[in-house]
Amino acid sequence: MPAFKAPAPGFSVRFSPFHENRLLAATSQHFGLVGNGHLLVLDLSAAGPGGPGLAPLFSFPTSDALFDCAWSESHDSLCAAASGDGSVRLFDVTLPPEQNPVRLLREHAREVHGIDWNPVRRDAFLSASWDDTLKLWSPDRPASVRTFRGHEYCVYAAAWSARHPDVFASASGDRTARVWDVREPAPTLVIPAHDHEVLSLDWDKYDPSILATGSVDKSIRVWDVRSPRAPLAQLAGHGYAVKRVKFSPHHQGMIMSCSYDMTVCMWDYRKEDALLARYGHHTEFVAGIDMSVLTDGLLASTGWDEMIYVWPFGSDPRAV
Amino acid sequence: MAGAPPKPWERAGAEGTSGPAPFKPPSGGSTSDVVEASGTAKPGETIAATTANVSNPVSRTMPQRPWQQQTGYGNSYGGAGYGSNMYSSLGGYGNTYGSGGMYGNSMYSSYGGGGGLYGGSGMYGGGMYNSGMGGSYGGYGMGGMGGMGGMGGMGGMGGMGPYGNPDPNSFGPPAAPPGFWVSFLRVMHGAVSFFGRVAFLVEQNTQAFYLFITAMLQLFDRSGMLYGELARFVLRLLGVRTKSKKGRVQGPEAPAFEGPGQQFLEAPKGNNSWDSVWGN
Repeated sequence: MPAFKAPAPGFSVRFSPFHENRLLAATSQHFGLVGNGHLLVLDLSAAGPGGPGLAPLFSFPTSDALFDCAWSESHDSLCAAASGDGSVRLFDVTLPPEQNPVRLLREHAREVHGIDWNPVRRDAFLSASWDDTLKLWSPDRPASVRTFRGHEYCVYAAAWSARHPDVFASASGDRTARVWDVREPAPTLVIPAHDHEVLSLDWDKYDPSILATGSVDKSIRVWDVRSPRAPLAQLAGHGYAVKRVKFSPHHQGMIMSCSYDMTVCMWDYRKEDALLARYGHHTEFVAGIDMSVLTDGLLASTGWDEMIYVWPFGSDPRAV
Repeated sequence: MAGAPPKPWERAGAEGTSGPAPFKPPSGGSTSDVVEASGTAKPGETIAATTANVSNPVSRTMPQRPWQQQTGYGNSYGGAGYGSNMYSSLGGYGNTYGSGGMYGNSMYSSYGGGGGLYGGSGMYGGGMYNSGMGGSYGGYGMGGMGGMGGMGGMGGMGGMGPYGNPDPNSFGPPAAPPGFWVSFLRVMHGAVSFFGRVAFLVEQNTQAFYLFITAMLQLFDRSGMLYGELARFVLRLLGVRTKSKKGRVQGPEAPAFEGPGQQFLEAPKGNNSWDSVWGN
């Protein structure tokens, strides 16, 4: 599996839920502060062993930084990107760049930092923005379906439950994680999760009540929404803020995380010795990680060193 | 619209090992229809304040937003600081310097321990009218120095937000040296706060100078009146009946001594004359 040199610092990677060799990446010039963004689609099968000369299948430049991206779960060529100018863009990778984005959704007042596609009902996605709100979108509608208000600070990430089509959770700089039901006007649960900003969260795919949050306080905490007073587990080991956490789609309890300490870590929160592996292959902040839904154990990461690595769990990302 | 292949956890089909989740059962139909059927679509501001369903309301204070971040001294430019009080109190000096505590206090609180750059309360109030010029300027000088001392003490770095603070009291191994961007942003932060402090000092010195000049002018004004009053009093003791012409200012050049034997024309006393204060 290859390493890929991106044109700019990477912010997010996502494996396609349709094609096991397809990878979506969001990158931004100048670390997202100013400049353009690039949405890339990589074909992993086209790469020779260890060849960094992999060319992207598609590359869509955007006028503003891209902070996150997500594949559509309903259509194999559709993907969404969260932009620094507050817009959400939908791209169809089968169309030439001139006809993209196929949809420009401009409702958020500030940067959109997180995006997630509903994996159960597959007809809607969420955007999390620094204007303290989340918005629910449907790709067949020109405007948002709903706005979720309640957070008191930037919302950094949103994650749909993997098992319930109406439930999702959000992570915010107001130090809380909130659980929402799209049918309820207010959050159904507010977890004062950390002492610092919560940057990311994800649901356990096998246990619909389990949630993991990653925070600026360097820790990952695992929560049970039925008893949110105390975390089930706290995973310490990162030296700086935890940028993203992700539950494995294949193994219950397995968590992947990346951090500003430039490492990617694998955990099993149910084990005594929770840290399974630590990868220090990036030379700058690691900003995006993903685990393939279609290939068991295939991992991807990207960071501000403009590299995108794809490697199987248990091997060295730089060796493959 | 075929939809993605089934997920591994869906193929497994097992409910979670720790029992059912505490959510309402899923609704049928598309997400848009579900949301609209629930009446929460586009709730806008009417629902923003709803917290009825929140089971764990947050009571902790929120961190400042990045675009609101200031390092202490920034707040003192606000209307609550000396800005409003100081200028308004300069309107009439009768009230102003008697109640110097007003701006003294607000300076202190907004500056966060800076110690009232101008010496705080009562410096003009007590000094000017009670103990005279020396006292008033003594207070002024000391206050100013205190303020400068407080100034040096501040300048703590703001939290670096997503980059994390290397907190020595936290768990985990000793933090690695910060990366290039962290240190660069810190340097930039230091430069910005340095210029902020310089701007603050310039403004404060302008304020001090203004107050100083105003106080000097008032001192001269009042001392002239005092001189005239004393002169008249002494003359009265000496048995000289002086009478100022109506509308004439009693100043140092007033014709106070023109010889004890000289007689002045008696004029009817004005009912607003100071002469009636002391009786005859």
